[in-house]
Amino acid sequence: MTSLDRLLSLQDRLVRYRISWAQLAWFGHRASGIGVVLYLFVHIVETSMVTLGPNVYNTTLGLFHNLPVRLGEILLMAALVYHSLNGLRVIAMDFWPRLTIYYRGLTYAVVTSTVVSMIPLALIMITPYAPWGHT
Amino acid sequence: MTRLRTIYLSGKNPSRAARVRPENPGFERFMWYFMRISGLALVILALGHMLIMHVLVQLTGQPVDFGFVTSRWGNPFWRVYDFLLLVLALIHGVNGTRIVIGDFVGRGGLRALLLVSLGAVTVLWLILGMIVIIGFNPATSPAVGPFT
Repeated sequence: MTSLDRLLSLQDRLVRYRISWAQLAWFGHRASGIGVVLYLFVHIVETSMVTLGPNVYNTTLGLFHNLPVRLGEILLMAALVYHSLNGLRVIAMDFWPRLTIYYRGLTYAVVTSTVVSMIPLALIMITPYAPWGHT
Repeated sequence: MTRLRTIYLSGKNPSRAARVRPENPGFERFMWYFMRISGLALVILALGHMLIMHVLVQLTGQPVDFGFVTSRWGNPFWRVYDFLLLVLALIHGVNGTRIVIGDFVGRGGLRALLLVSLGAVTVLWLILGMIVIIGFNPATSPAVGPFT
């Protein structure tokens, strides 16, 4: 590779740089994974309170019964659904490399399925705080 | 041609959303397989858990409280389910975090501190979770508490 080639390649990378679906999928996988594992640490402590009896446990759960936490739980569900579907795509492509040809389609399918499945899930989960809820 | 090239390149890292499989047998390659196998199990375990605890419970109007956990963990099936979920999810999640720290934090004191803290917290939380799932007994838990 001559120095001119190297310069052109650098220019190519800087000027024609585009965020690709692969990068977004990769970033989303990491962000959702970190989100879920942080929640998991809190959730283990929360559930441990059950050994301290009904008074302590039910009081602890009460801390989680409000709209901001519920919105967070909906976000958690979305993170888990995306991480699951994208993880299945990663596994499929790792073990059947030929699927790499369809990587763009598979990534669209992961994102679309996440959004579509979150519509009913979010509507059900928000029910206690929604106008149609009974509390 | 492009397709052939794609397949050839992808032999190195097919998914492009994760890591290349480590060449040499050892801890890193074991964890590479562990992430994928536990990931498959967690699709069922973790999504199932969320669907039951957040969606099914809402649809059937059951309150999640001490009584709910007592009746649920009265069935050994759910104790085994929750135990598997705890162990697999925690190790899967912590190993992912370890890799993210390794990618974003440069070698040095900060990385070592983060990794050691992560390991220590994981062991503590894993033991706590196991004790709770295996040892929970509603009969011996205190009936009253500090909150009224």
